Amino acid sequence: MARYLVKRLVLLVAVLFAVTFLGFSAMNFLGDPLFNVVGVMAELDCEGIEAGTVEDTSMDRARSDCETVAEARAEYHLDRSVPVRYVLWVSDLATGDLGTSFQNDQPVSQIVREKLPETLILLVMAQIVSLGVAIPWGVIAAYRANRAFDRGSTVASFGLLSVPNFALGVVLLYLFALRWQIFPSAYESETTLGLLFSMILPAVTLGLPLAASYQRLLRTDLITTLQEDFVHMARAKGLPAMRIMFRHALRPSMFSVVTVFGVSTGALIGGSLVVEQIFGIPGIGREIVTAVIRDDFPVVLAIVMLVACTFVVINFLVDLFYSWLDPRVRTR
Amino acid sequence: MAVESVSAPAPLLSVRDLHVRFPTERGTVNAVNGVSFDLYEGRTLAIVGESGSGKSVTAKTLMNLLPRTAHVSGEVTYDGQDVRALAAAGTKHFFGVQMTMVFQDPMTSLNPVKKVGEQIAETLRYHLGRSRSDALEEAEHLLDQVGIPEPSRRVSQYPHELSGGLRQRVVIAMALACQPRLLIADEPTTAVDVTVQKHLLDLLDRLRRDRGMSMILITHDLGVAHGRADDVAVMYAGRLVETADARTLFFDMRHPYTEALLRSIPRIEDPVHHRLDPIPGRPPELVDPPDACAFAPRCIYARADCLDGVPELSGLVGLHRFACLHPTGTERGEAALATNRTAGVTAAGLSLPQEAPGSG
Repeated sequence: MARYLVKRLVLLVAVLFAVTFLGFSAMNFLGDPLFNVVGVMAELDCEGIEAGTVEDTSMDRARSDCETVAEARAEYHLDRSVPVRYVLWVSDLATGDLGTSFQNDQPVSQIVREKLPETLILLVMAQIVSLGVAIPWGVIAAYRANRAFDRGSTVASFGLLSVPNFALGVVLLYLFALRWQIFPSAYESETTLGLLFSMILPAVTLGLPLAASYQRLLRTDLITTLQEDFVHMARAKGLPAMRIMFRHALRPSMFSVVTVFGVSTGALIGGSLVVEQIFGIPGIGREIVTAVIRDDFPVVLAIVMLVACTFVVINFLVDLFYSWLDPRVRTR
Repeated sequence: MAVESVSAPAPLLSVRDLHVRFPTERGTVNAVNGVSFDLYEGRTLAIVGESGSGKSVTAKTLMNLLPRTAHVSGEVTYDGQDVRALAAAGTKHFFGVQMTMVFQDPMTSLNPVKKVGEQIAETLRYHLGRSRSDALEEAEHLLDQVGIPEPSRRVSQYPHELSGGLRQRVVIAMALACQPRLLIADEPTTAVDVTVQKHLLDLLDRLRRDRGMSMILITHDLGVAHGRADDVAVMYAGRLVETADARTLFFDMRHPYTEALLRSIPRIEDPVHHRLDPIPGRPPELVDPPDACAFAPRCIYARADCLDGVPELSGLVGLHRFACLHPTGTERGEAALATNRTAGVTAAGLSLPQEAPGSG
């Protein structure tokens, strides 16, 4: 078990390096980072200005454009080669310094600290909704396989899967916030509890389609498990049907769901971009959209890295969860 | 009534005219066709037959374990109560407490994700309301009773950490936890090593006797039934073809299928390299069975009348019954065999060697 953990941790670090390196390179090679910081000033022929062969067109007399460019070069290490810059960036990262935004000179770490909690809470709540709905739904559908409830639920789940996030979000917003006014329509409240409450609709918007896909997987796996001898044995032991479903059949049937749970975290982050827009949640999803449009690469890089990190860590936890689900994994 | 019940106690389990049909894409499979038998308290009934003979389906019907698609008719009475009605009503603490079952394959009949101790304790907690710690302690004691070494260590192990033989002992311990009066053992030793089979069978036999339990032992091996069963019922193509007390069945059998089964078992007194007599042909399809004796195509006694209608099981439940028009060991049977040998072929088209089988 210890060896397994060490192996997974090494892999985690390797993945993080790969993701940050790719992200960093992409941001540096696709477009000129200097241009993103100082705009058209990046095109200036500063050597020519210094030599006097080109006219200095600086508007600001106190600080010439060339000085600004030089400062930017120094600050973002743009005078060094990309691999060196990457190493410098990583060592800054190690000390918790994510750099500063090109847009407003705000430290990126501060942006992340402000926006991340909203998104994380949204993601966690969405997964709670999805599992909370999918598990009982899948269990009942499998228990009554091919009967009325199961047939109805098959239709319902395909319906949910085929509705895009934004459509579902808008419909839920209209019904529950505007028409019946059960939930607030805007993300604002004095209290943490109030904020959590206004997070319910967005979480349901993200979680319901996931619940539908989890339910399909769980239902199929459960139907297979229910053919197993140990389920017959449990019935021969005289245990009641629902106890058999939850205590015997559910756990060995969770593998597909848990795997997709890990993978879907990525899709969920994508979905949160849209949902944060619809419900006006000031989260990381909205932030990255803005940052990408403005080529604000320290912010983009930081968020990409965070997303990758979350993804890898969740899948690491999923791996650990497998060994809880099935003790046979532990000895492998 | 009162007088009758004194002279003849009511059977613990009574099965009357049991039919089980499964609708499939190829047609309706008639898995069990009119099976009737009685089992008295403290006795062991062996149900013997090839795979596909309906013996496991019969067992599952008794335990209400068939899929919903199965059509069941007939009567199953346990201690005067209608078992199928009890099951339909969801009666608690019947299965697992009154009657329970041990399955063929110990590798799959334990839940792979639960510790064996928990799996045994679970029954005790649910049916007998034991506390968790009491139940685990009792589970350990049960493991000891079924001859598992180091039971205190085993309770907290997972099934995959145990060998097949040990697992089947765990299954037996699990089945016996609530002191059932009736145990149905469905080929309990088929999937374990030959070296372990006898130990397990002897263990079951000993536990059964110690507890005064009744048992239905389902097997394809008449050798397993020998010496352990009080009564034997031989099944073929979903029907009982011969039932009798064990002694009569082994030494004075009437049905050619029973005889053929016995001949196909190797015996210790046989000379070395003695050739076994396999039963020719294969078990019949259970979809649209012909209106004839199902064993006729494989039977060396088969005459024309065997192909004309299904022979009825003779006699009363509890007596020596057999479903054969030309029973072995009778004049009619000998005459049929002699005629077939002379012709070199039976009425159903099976060609016969000229010499007597088993002498080669």
